[in-house]
Amino acid sequence: MRRRVLLMALLLAGCFVQAQYAGYKLLPDANDFKTKFTAASQKTTTIKSDFVQEKELTMLSEKIVSKGKFWFKKENAVRMEYTQPFQYLMIINGGKIYIKDSQKENRISAKSNKLFEQINKIMMDCVNGSALSNADFTARVFESGDAYLAELSPVNKNLKTLFKNINLIVNKKDYAVTRIEMHEPSGDNTTINYINREMNVSLSDALFAIN
Amino acid sequence: MRYLLSISCLLWLFSCSAPYKKLQKSKDDMSCVQSFRPVFSAALYNTQVNVVGKHLSGLLIIKTMPDNSIRIVFSNEAGFKFFDFGFAGKNFTVYYIYKDMNKKPVIKTLRKDFQLVLMNNLDVKGAYILKKDSLRYYTFPDGKDHYYYITDSSCRSMVRMERGSNKKPVMTAIAQNFNQGIPDTIGITHTNFNFEIGLKRIYNYAEK
Repeated sequence: MRRRVLLMALLLAGCFVQAQYAGYKLLPDANDFKTKFTAASQKTTTIKSDFVQEKELTMLSEKIVSKGKFWFKKENAVRMEYTQPFQYLMIINGGKIYIKDSQKENRISAKSNKLFEQINKIMMDCVNGSALSNADFTARVFESGDAYLAELSPVNKNLKTLFKNINLIVNKKDYAVTRIEMHEPSGDNTTINYINREMNVSLSDALFAIN
Repeated sequence: MRYLLSISCLLWLFSCSAPYKKLQKSKDDMSCVQSFRPVFSAALYNTQVNVVGKHLSGLLIIKTMPDNSIRIVFSNEAGFKFFDFGFAGKNFTVYYIYKDMNKKPVIKTLRKDFQLVLMNNLDVKGAYILKKDSLRYYTFPDGKDHYYYITDSSCRSMVRMERGSNKKPVMTAIAQNFNQGIPDTIGITHTNFNFEIGLKRIYNYAEK
């Protein structure tokens, strides 16, 4: 009797895991994916892309949609420029962060601000492929016909208050991150879709300069 | 002469420190101020915050929920949420606040500031009107706090809003350029410490 109950529980648990993401099934062994994802990330020296960000709030029926341009240059330089429906520029370069909003410019040392330091690290890890080996998260990998979904669940208490999990949607063909989903404990979430992506194009250092 | 000068200075200081005490009672119609109450069906604002030398920007959403309560959510441009507050008459709910902001004085100040602008908790019991020259001060006491809605003498336009004691203001707010009951611009300035919030409405932000 006990065995039957245990078997039933395991079957139900299996169904629950598989049904978590429609169209995706859990990879029992993610090592092959991790190896290929890391290898592809190591070959990526630059990324130039447009992005569409969607903020979903449980209290709001509409999504807040913003658009802009994204640049990444190895090892750790990112430029995100929001152009619609507001102007906002964020450059992360090494340990420095530059922000320009509609009124002011701000230069922040990532180390002096824990929040920015965490966001900085998460963003870099997602883009340069090291997210799966980040000790701040445990990872599970799911797959569909054309994509992988790497689900990163925070381990430490601070991150748990910010994120329920962060999902990376990875293209099966070239192992590039096409979407980042940040799910909050409240049910709200932010999704960034990368479109018109160009890899390994020449990008000037001036794009990432923080003076 | 020096003595007189000192007395004058003291009187001047006293009058400055208690500006509401100089106002006179008025018997104008109390209900007219309700017409300035904003109707936030749903509005998104580009938000600038300056607090004790630090600057922060982001997006602020104000929405009236089906139960008529009002939710205010503030996040940065990249979607990182700072706070999520609910206002339902006298009830106030903190649905979420980022841990570094989770301090009683911060929450209390934000609650009172937005309460003044939302105008959704105006207790008419105990309310009264004061006047000075061509201005009318529609005053709503709430414990030690007093919420002031300052209009022209005919109550046709709102000049500004203030919150303070029964003696002096601690903060001033404006709400301007209304479009279907929603102000296009909102400004909040504290007089006792360096804290400002500026909101400018963003249109066409949403997709179903």
